[in-house]
Amino acid sequence: MWTYITKRILWMIPTFFAISLIIFLILNLAPGKPGGTLASGAEGQEASGSSRESYRVFKSQFNLDKPVLFNTRYALSDEQVEKCLNNYANESGKVPMKEVIKSQELLEDYGQYSIPSLIRILKKSEGNQKFRAVVLETLLQNAQRYPINAYAEHLDEKTKQINNEIDSENEKIRTFACAKDASPQEQEKAAKKWYAWYKEHEDRFKYSFGQKIGIFFTDTRFFKYWASLIRFDFGVSHIDKKPVMGKILSKLQYSLCLSVPAVIFAYIISVPLGVFSAVKQNSKFDRICAVILFMLYSLPSFFVATILLYFFSQGGDFLKIFPTGGFQSPSVDSLTTWEKTKDIIWHIILPLICMTYGSFASLSRYARTGMLDVIRSDYVRTARAKGLSEFVVVVKHAMRNGMIPIITLLGTLLPVIIGGSVIIEYIFGIPGMGQLSITSIYNRDYNMIMGIQLISAILVLIGILISDLLYALVDPRISFK
Amino acid sequence: MEEEKKYKKVSYWSVVWSQFKKNKIALWGLGAIVLLLLQAIYSPFLSLDVPIVYSIDGKMHCPFLLELFNKNRFENTVDILFNAVMVVSPLLVALWFVCKKIFSISTNKTFVIFIAFVILVCFAASIVSEKLVKIGNRKYKEEIAIAKSEGKKVSAIFPLMKWSYKETDLEGSNPQAPSAKHLLGTDSTGRDVLTRMLYGTRISMTIGVVAVSIYMLIGIVLGALAGYFGGAIDIWISRLIEVVICFPTFFLILTLAAFIEKRTVFHVMILIGVVSWTGVARLVRGEFLRQRGMDYVQAAIALGISRAKIIFTHILPNAMGPILVSATFGIASAILTESSLSFLGLGDPTAPSWGGILNIGRQQGKLWLILAPGFAIFFVVSVFNLVGEAIRDAMDPRLRQ
Repeated sequence: MWTYITKRILWMIPTFFAISLIIFLILNLAPGKPGGTLASGAEGQEASGSSRESYRVFKSQFNLDKPVLFNTRYALSDEQVEKCLNNYANESGKVPMKEVIKSQELLEDYGQYSIPSLIRILKKSEGNQKFRAVVLETLLQNAQRYPINAYAEHLDEKTKQINNEIDSENEKIRTFACAKDASPQEQEKAAKKWYAWYKEHEDRFKYSFGQKIGIFFTDTRFFKYWASLIRFDFGVSHIDKKPVMGKILSKLQYSLCLSVPAVIFAYIISVPLGVFSAVKQNSKFDRICAVILFMLYSLPSFFVATILLYFFSQGGDFLKIFPTGGFQSPSVDSLTTWEKTKDIIWHIILPLICMTYGSFASLSRYARTGMLDVIRSDYVRTARAKGLSEFVVVVKHAMRNGMIPIITLLGTLLPVIIGGSVIIEYIFGIPGMGQLSITSIYNRDYNMIMGIQLISAILVLIGILISDLLYALVDPRISFK
Repeated sequence: MEEEKKYKKVSYWSVVWSQFKKNKIALWGLGAIVLLLLQAIYSPFLSLDVPIVYSIDGKMHCPFLLELFNKNRFENTVDILFNAVMVVSPLLVALWFVCKKIFSISTNKTFVIFIAFVILVCFAASIVSEKLVKIGNRKYKEEIAIAKSEGKKVSAIFPLMKWSYKETDLEGSNPQAPSAKHLLGTDSTGRDVLTRMLYGTRISMTIGVVAVSIYMLIGIVLGALAGYFGGAIDIWISRLIEVVICFPTFFLILTLAAFIEKRTVFHVMILIGVVSWTGVARLVRGEFLRQRGMDYVQAAIALGISRAKIIFTHILPNAMGPILVSATFGIASAILTESSLSFLGLGDPTAPSWGGILNIGRQQGKLWLILAPGFAIFFVVSVFNLVGEAIRDAMDPRLRQ
């Protein structure tokens, strides 16, 4: 058995890698920009310099300035850079705005890799004052390096030292700046400074074969993401710069409070119901039950939730019993533990009903079919023939085998239990995992979305494993060999 | 010879049909699906703000036909498509009838080709009309009212209700409660809810059918390849299925839908289709593994029939039963997924989707905006589930009577 489990867990690793690769590609190749408000504020070219700068820092901190899978920028040609510069400078005024913004973005993303080309272009472009201004501006922007891990809470001494060095160099580089409308002489003066600086640091931009291979594979978004993922670090949220894992864990309690009772109630109701309708197959009770369960099964949960809110909440028009939403009252801190519990229960009754009815409808149907499969089998007949009471026959003999499918379902419910329900939490305003996922989607918080997707994928993987193991555990006929 | 005649030739599907017919409720369900489809196709006759014919001072105008293809009136390509079906269908039904009666062509195959032909024609019509028909958003009701007040002789035949689904009624404070003017009231911007509900059927039906067709196609092809060829192909496809099964489907659809800037109904369909094919693929793979070893397949291989033919014309029809059942359930769940998306505000903003109406109802707290779309979704979903279950039971030899 242990070899089986180990084998399965080892298989999970490549599967998980493939899942993360696919989700990562989908997210990064999808149109639009990450970071919600931050990105949209910087979208227009006319955005102020400081917000543009903060957007650039944001991009570099989240590796968004890097290519997705493979990096070939070590071989950046002068033509590529020049084309972008031409588009960005837009001397003729004919380049469409979209193209200009794209070129600007691309130039920023090239970063350090574009320095040699920029220096060469700077040398070539003598006499063209307007174009040179753009080159100088880009150079100034790309030559500055970013401090490492700016958003991290704790830095060790070594990184701090490196960051200090970077800062002092950036300080020096900033003195090279010259105004946009500077005269050709002034530009030449600045260019001289650049040539000197470049000569000093030239070997930084010459890559050996090994370095090139390294850049090709490692200086990419996917590698950087995976490098931290190996340490179970899902990165930090784009919005409030807090660690993704911590945010998810802090939301977990709310979802668990809702889903664990929901699953328990669903099992408590559905098992007896399913067993009873199977034992009394084709009776009136069975038929009525089947119809009701069928209807509950087809009822969309968001409809039920809306109806319940309308009829039973204080925001509605009828019985104003329950609150309109939320997990607890705002004044919760002043309450005793008992009152707190009461308050929470009062808040979660409606969402609990919504979460329970759907799963109990399908579970009962599973329980009924599972029971029907065994109730006519020979060993049950034997048990009856032995003169056992009907109760013992059903509960002790038939149920053990009949409930196998519904027990194994428990494993597949794991993602629902931990992930919570997006719709229910959205409607009732419960600050759990479901609401976290929908807000991260609205905010285009890539790291958060990735984190939630990957965690749910892991949960599905574990859930499938658990349900297979449960199968073998409750059914002795199945072995791992 | 006499002996043989005693046994009627009974095909598998006629057995299934005869079993299905015994289930009266399921028959009603099937009828309801047909009715819903008809309602979806002919909803312009039920509600539109364009008169079918009208005459001012004896001069006849008939703007209805052209308006059906007006992009300004029907923002959605889905609507144009359905309108094309509406216009073309009577002609084609007549044509088919003639073919059947006079030339007596009535085999199943011609029927399938015929349906495919109809769909193609409608697609072509909708695409062409989008390019050709360019009329502004003329307000016929106002024109007629003005003509009437000028004392001209006016008569007009309107559809049953005089509203289009995007027309806003600004008289009175919106949302208006149900009245004789608006049978189900209006939503927060003053659009007639009943009309939106009627056109919403179109959205739901298309989502269900197209999304399921997409994932059936992917699932059947991949499953068939894996099951038939086995070996390395099977291993790779099975791995792929294992990976895709682990995707949090609904969340992934939500994310992708949010990332598409100009969402249309078709995006939603493709998203649902691309993400949820794994169930079908596993089903088909299993069926193919089972059928592959059977004598008739071996015989077909021995006869030298091409692989593609064996897969699609020999094995696939025999594996079709479970696929059909899962397709029926799939339609129900695709409709549910779409309405949840619209409910969360991530559907097509221009489409009159039931989920969208329900969302407005939730925000406004108005009962007519909640009940109507809610029950519509409930009804459609349960009808498809009902029929799916009935087909499954009809195919189950243990339940055969």
